[in-house]
Amino acid sequence: MKAADFSYHEATNIQDAINIKAKDEEAVILAGGQSLLPALNMRLSSPSCLIDISKISGLDDINIEGDCLFIGALATHSHVMNNELVFKQMPCLIDILKMVAHPAIRNKGTHGGSIAYGDPAAELPALAVATNAEIIVSGQNGDRSIRAKDFYLGLFETAINQDEIVIGIKYPLLKKGQTILFDEVCRRHGDYAMAGLIASVIVSNDKVNDLNLVFFATGDKPDIAPQTAKLFLETGYDYTKLKKSLSSEIDFAGDLNSSSEMKLHLATVLIKNVLKKLEA
Amino acid sequence: MTANNTVNISFTVNGEKFDNVNVPSRQHLADYLRSQGFTGTHLGCEQGACGACTIEMDGKAVRSCLVLASQANGSNLKTVEGFDDEIMEQVKQSFLKHNAFQCGFCSPGMLMTTKEILSNKKKLTRDEIRSEISGNYCRCTGYQSIVDAIEECINEIN
Repeated sequence: MKAADFSYHEATNIQDAINIKAKDEEAVILAGGQSLLPALNMRLSSPSCLIDISKISGLDDINIEGDCLFIGALATHSHVMNNELVFKQMPCLIDILKMVAHPAIRNKGTHGGSIAYGDPAAELPALAVATNAEIIVSGQNGDRSIRAKDFYLGLFETAINQDEIVIGIKYPLLKKGQTILFDEVCRRHGDYAMAGLIASVIVSNDKVNDLNLVFFATGDKPDIAPQTAKLFLETGYDYTKLKKSLSSEIDFAGDLNSSSEMKLHLATVLIKNVLKKLEA
Repeated sequence: MTANNTVNISFTVNGEKFDNVNVPSRQHLADYLRSQGFTGTHLGCEQGACGACTIEMDGKAVRSCLVLASQANGSNLKTVEGFDDEIMEQVKQSFLKHNAFQCGFCSPGMLMTTKEILSNKKKLTRDEIRSEISGNYCRCTGYQSIVDAIEECINEIN
């Protein structure tokens, strides 16, 4: 349970971090470290070098940029949960973060870290996909933004290039009638979910007009289910039909806690549970 | 195998200064603290699940097994040994009174978490207390007595 040897570099600014990362393909960025350190301690990962970006100033801002809520990569989960702009513009994010681990871990874990790590069972990547967020990365050729749905490529695999670092996430401000709904099933409080769902819903004239379903802890990355969402809008909640649709749309991958069949069942039931919240 | 990398860092623990100490870059903070005699910081799982190694870093509760010693450069750390103020004395008495200590393995982490709960200065229901301590495992008490103790602390101190 001790990490293998690596060199440690405390980056003084973004350019410094980018330069080191560009040169060493085995170097890994350390932000809050709340997913990375367990992986290092268990030797699931043994990078040559850790580039600690946590002391770079100005990367934890939260502000409104045009029609987006911008969250700096180094904003900790605790910081985001206690931020007034988040409370006003995206209150669902606070409820979602309450399900991320425990207070002491949320004090250190960062927003950008969770987005960049790309754990398929994590909530934030699914939220980014469900809300059509943009992930802003900085590299040797300057900054670029990547749509969340194009960012996640596979298991812990993202569209970040070797010389790039995530510097922030831009969530479009909610439209009129738009709500983000969320639920997950887990064995213990703070654990990774066995299956979870984030739904973006637009209601007009008391009717659901637009539905975007994004599941997490179901496959190798956030799973979008457009066919199933369409089916729900047409026929309402029908367990058998929705389950069939989900099984054709998502490649469910079982893990130690739950088989793929169980995840399929949970995902189907989550659609009912999540949309029931609309009535409240 | 290459030689172990080290990092030169400075920080304080319970007000005591550590200047220009060399730490192996791969060593986590809990191991470093224990090597310096701060053995009140316990190690259970070393993967962030059990909470026994919880300490205070710059005023916030953190898992010292999930922080590298090298990341503590420039920080103010507080371990259970540094609990010497009036409030924490009261917390310890509450824990004693309600039998919330038992084997004692989880206690340093539980006390640290209680400290953070009290610093938020909010009234909490018993369910909310359970949620706050959900990241600290206790295998003796069944949590009942710990929740009793924390509830009393919130009512008396805040």
